[in-house]
Amino acid sequence: MNIKLTYNWLLDFLETDASPFEIQKYLSLSGPSIERIEKIDNDYVFDIEIISNRIDTASAFGIVQEAFAILPFFGKKAKIKFNPFEEYKFSKLLKNITVEDYELNIVIKENNLCSRFSAIVLDNIKIGPSPYFIQQRLKAAGIKVINNVVDISNYLMLTLGQPTHIFDFDKIANDDRKYATIIMRESKKGEQIVILDEKKVKLPGQDIVIEDGKKRLIDLCGIMGGLNSCISNQSKRIILFVQTYNKQKIRKTVMTTGIRTLAATYFEKGLDEERVEATLVLGVELLKKYAFAKISSKLYDIYPNPYQKKKIIVPFSFFEKIMGISIPKKTIIQILNSLGFETKICNEKIEVFVPHFRKYDIDVAEDLVEEVARVYGYNNLPNNFSPPVQVFPPEKFEKTFKLISKIKHFLKHLGLNEVINYSMISKKMIEEWKLNEKDHLKIKNSISSEIEYLRISLLPSLYKNIKDNEGKRETLKFFEIGKVYLIRKNDLPKEEYRLAIAVNTDFFDVKGILEALFLELNIESFALPKIIKKDNIFLTEINLLSLIEKTKLLPRFKPINPYAIIKLDKTFELEKNLSFEKIREKAFKSPYLDKIQVLSLFKNKLTIRFYYSAKDRNLTEEEAKKELEKL
Amino acid sequence: MELELCKNDIRKCKNIEDLEKTKIKYLGRNGLINKMLLRIRAMPEEQKKEYGKKINYIKQKIEEEINKRRKELEKKEMINFFDQTLPGKPYPKGSLHPLTYVIEEIISIFSSLGFIQVSYPEVEWEYFSFEALNMPKGHPARDDFETFFIEFPENDRYGKMILSPHTSSGQNREMRRSKPPIRMINIAKTYRPNWDATHTPMFHQFEGLCIDKNINITHLKGTIDYFVKKFFGKNRIIRLRPAHFQFTEPSFEIDVSCGICLGKGEVNGKKCRICKSGWLELAGAGMVHPNVLKMGGVDPNVYTGWAFGFGPERCMMMREEMKIDDIRILYSGDIRFLEQF
Repeated sequence: MNIKLTYNWLLDFLETDASPFEIQKYLSLSGPSIERIEKIDNDYVFDIEIISNRIDTASAFGIVQEAFAILPFFGKKAKIKFNPFEEYKFSKLLKNITVEDYELNIVIKENNLCSRFSAIVLDNIKIGPSPYFIQQRLKAAGIKVINNVVDISNYLMLTLGQPTHIFDFDKIANDDRKYATIIMRESKKGEQIVILDEKKVKLPGQDIVIEDGKKRLIDLCGIMGGLNSCISNQSKRIILFVQTYNKQKIRKTVMTTGIRTLAATYFEKGLDEERVEATLVLGVELLKKYAFAKISSKLYDIYPNPYQKKKIIVPFSFFEKIMGISIPKKTIIQILNSLGFETKICNEKIEVFVPHFRKYDIDVAEDLVEEVARVYGYNNLPNNFSPPVQVFPPEKFEKTFKLISKIKHFLKHLGLNEVINYSMISKKMIEEWKLNEKDHLKIKNSISSEIEYLRISLLPSLYKNIKDNEGKRETLKFFEIGKVYLIRKNDLPKEEYRLAIAVNTDFFDVKGILEALFLELNIESFALPKIIKKDNIFLTEINLLSLIEKTKLLPRFKPINPYAIIKLDKTFELEKNLSFEKIREKAFKSPYLDKIQVLSLFKNKLTIRFYYSAKDRNLTEEEAKKELEKL
Repeated sequence: MELELCKNDIRKCKNIEDLEKTKIKYLGRNGLINKMLLRIRAMPEEQKKEYGKKINYIKQKIEEEINKRRKELEKKEMINFFDQTLPGKPYPKGSLHPLTYVIEEIISIFSSLGFIQVSYPEVEWEYFSFEALNMPKGHPARDDFETFFIEFPENDRYGKMILSPHTSSGQNREMRRSKPPIRMINIAKTYRPNWDATHTPMFHQFEGLCIDKNINITHLKGTIDYFVKKFFGKNRIIRLRPAHFQFTEPSFEIDVSCGICLGKGEVNGKKCRICKSGWLELAGAGMVHPNVLKMGGVDPNVYTGWAFGFGPERCMMMREEMKIDDIRILYSGDIRFLEQF
């Protein structure tokens, strides 16, 4: 999540000699990233990326708390002018409560909905525009300016990081306008509420909602208020409503309804209950000042389980263990204190007390190392290599990767083009190849029919590659090495590496490529894989595993024969019963035959050259001819 | 006879140049013919006519012979003309997918540091992609990894079958395969349901994992810095920024200085058009979370480790040569793209 705040907004709480650009640079290195700065009138707007588990930093004061700890490590002064969590206390507010004209009848049906519930009724409201500085800051933050009451509610969220809601008291009050009923409960499936933006929402069920005394839903809690209870230009009395909700429930409602508001983004991350107090007190103060509010009810605060400070004990040596350098104890303590952690030293250990605003992200010692390391500065740590150790790769992996690389480069040099296709194919491709759809794993939530099934063969993809490229080049020769996914019962599929080749030339092209490849890999004997013809495309596919076993680094050395080689040519007329293979087989029955070579093929007339030699003497031409005649 | 000697001389010319020289020798201003003509002055009147005729005849014959030889030589030279500017004998030129080169380069850099390459399932159980990485059911961090699910009966222990949305599932598998010390890299296809100019539903990820006694942040920093300098160039530097991932603690984003503005964010006083203020995001990384070690059967009190994950496609496109505006071309199988590499 990103939020926008201004430089002057931060200066409400922070005293510093750091320029906006220095703040950007230093905070980005050690805290939240300030991705952009924009100059407006007499202020600067920061666009800040909030780290996902640091919702406590998503406010002006939250950023100030970070700046206070970080800036001094870059030689900048930083002082917190005042801390709203200490200044804005209920005790301060309670002193001012003199009138209790109105009453709230609060019922919370389940106890896992809301960890803290606070509310207060304010009378004498005069709706009008909010003061200029609030308008300007909200505009900079990208929030629509509406009126003093709504603007203050939004302003509170970005200042202290706690969303609030405001009801029009009279719209939900009972007939004598003296009290209002507020029932917080889980929604039933299918219940409906019309929310502020006039959308009618059908609830998925178990969402946190508020029902008034007249059985109407008036709030989709944490996400958006009901239209029936919202502030209008005529509002006179309001309820300022500050809660912390069950984050899982808020998240579920956001995910299922698709309604995402900035408030919901806060609540679904889980908010610190202690923030409620300062937010409500500051809220009352601002509403008094800018909307003429008068407190006219008692303060409602339901907070069954107040925060008990978490304690984490860490040996000092642990910081060095993870950071790799020794940091003075004094520095460790200084960093933790400046971030709001109280500390106590016990011999070689440090006891760290987690402040309320970090209760959800600090759990273990490693979390504290991160705090110290980032403020100390990752860039102040040296670069080292992990100490060398003897680690052997599993033979299976090593051989596979070596073979893949060797094959790829060899085929490239033969003139083939490598393709990488998606592992998923369409139903149409399965059908085109007369494969069984049931043999394929199917993606439940695919985003396109083109990528619905996991392939069990590379051929449909390669065939498609050639079809797609028809007309772009005269000859096309593709290969791919990739996995296929073969279904197994009750288990993950068997993932098998395959090599596939496809050409639009002829049968002997594919055969020649395969023979050349086997020669390159020093494979002595291998049954030729099937070559398939589909339209005018010739294709073949091999399981790589079957090649691995037969591949050799070096071929078998044959001693060089110093004796004469007799070359004899003979022409055969090929027919069904006399294939090249048959001639070859028969010829090699001779103990003197070294090799044979096809010289030419004209119609069915095949001319073969035979190479005869003996291992221990010079063979005579007569002897060779005798051998050949045996054919 | 004199004429025969001349003719022989002409016939012996090996090329046009020789022939020109010979022509000058006989027919030039100070050539043989002119010298012979000079003699005519001293001759008696009655012989002059005859002598002149004779000289003219010789001259004519020589000219004939020269022209004849010229034609012969021209024909010969035409046949023998050797044009070295013609292209050489064509050899087959195939291609590998650009990612193949990138992946091989990455592997070779890490092999030299003693890391071994492994491979783990692309079709995975939820458990290895999430629970084993400290992301229990319902955890919002799972949202960061939008996932394809497979129609298949759920496994009692490991949950639903998915297409792995990252290579980090290999962390737990590697810890199961081998006890520390671990030095692993894993490059594999990964899958997420996004398909537009900057996303493809299948892409690659590259995972590094190092677990041993006394492993600390400086080892992670040093390793990635080495990789960046080898892969992008010696003038590039990295920076670590705080981040949050469930499976590492501390966690960082790793940025590399922009190759265009070298980390300054501007070129000749103008904002750099390539980067966000001087830096490009490269990878997520961190120290392996103790819970992840525990789930892999490794004692976090004895061992520590680091891990990182990044995209080879991104690494490729961050190189000078590969400015691609639509990433989908990588998996289009278009020969006009493939044959370039």
